[in-house]
Amino acid sequence: MAEGVTFTRAFAALQKAIGIAQKRHELISGNISNVDTPDYRAKDIDFKTAMAHALESEDSLRLARTSEAHMGPNGDGVNGVNGPGPVQETGEWNGYNWVQIDREMVRLMENNMRYRTATELLLRKIAILKEVIREGGR
Amino acid sequence: MDFLMAFEVSASGLYVQRKRMDVIASNLANIETTRTARGGPYRRKMVVMSAKPMGEFDALLARKVEGAEIDDVVEDNSPFRKVFNPSHPDADKDGYLLKPNVDLMVEITNMVMARRAFEANLAAIKTTKQMVLKALEIGR
Repeated sequence: MAEGVTFTRAFAALQKAIGIAQKRHELISGNISNVDTPDYRAKDIDFKTAMAHALESEDSLRLARTSEAHMGPNGDGVNGVNGPGPVQETGEWNGYNWVQIDREMVRLMENNMRYRTATELLLRKIAILKEVIREGGR
Repeated sequence: MDFLMAFEVSASGLYVQRKRMDVIASNLANIETTRTARGGPYRRKMVVMSAKPMGEFDALLARKVEGAEIDDVVEDNSPFRKVFNPSHPDADKDGYLLKPNVDLMVEITNMVMARRAFEANLAAIKTTKQMVLKALEIGR
């Protein structure tokens, strides 16, 4: 993403947060649809770890890659999600599979809150930009 | 400390109460069972719960906030019910039959409590959600 005075790092961070929340939503929805699948293992991403991962890889990319011969930070994509993201198998064996429906439903909602928070922050950031454009054009 | 930790805590409460319901259902289903794999009548089972710290060990609040988890399922060692029923194949030589130590009233009471606790956790989730959404509206 372009960086400078207008598009600050906050945009990049929020973009990543939304990306991770989206990916998590997919995984949790998958878990819920497989609530009756025998031996199914629930999957999830630890939001905090994924976020730290995404930000860290971006940082080290900018700081350390002074030569083409340098290796990438973690071998995966800058986004941390599009690469081989840190998807973990979670859940507890319930005698049938590894999905606990109440846990998954709550996680779905928790993730939804994260998504809404990130989009809200993004909207407000854009509102500030709009304000600057409007006031500056007078 | 995660700002959405309350969801995970409430989820553990939901799960524990639902598992408690499993055990209550087992007790109710076997209220008249006189034959088990171990021999003898069915023994009433109980869930033992323990508190589980939610977050990283270094964070103070995360250590204090605890979710619930099932520690063990134990058997109730109180004596079996003894009823006189000489025609039953499992009756002893004096005609007495040992029946499970499951008390219907106790099970029903526990069932109501599990249900209410489940609902309380749902209410907590709902409130947390509303609080987060309201916080997002600050300054709008």
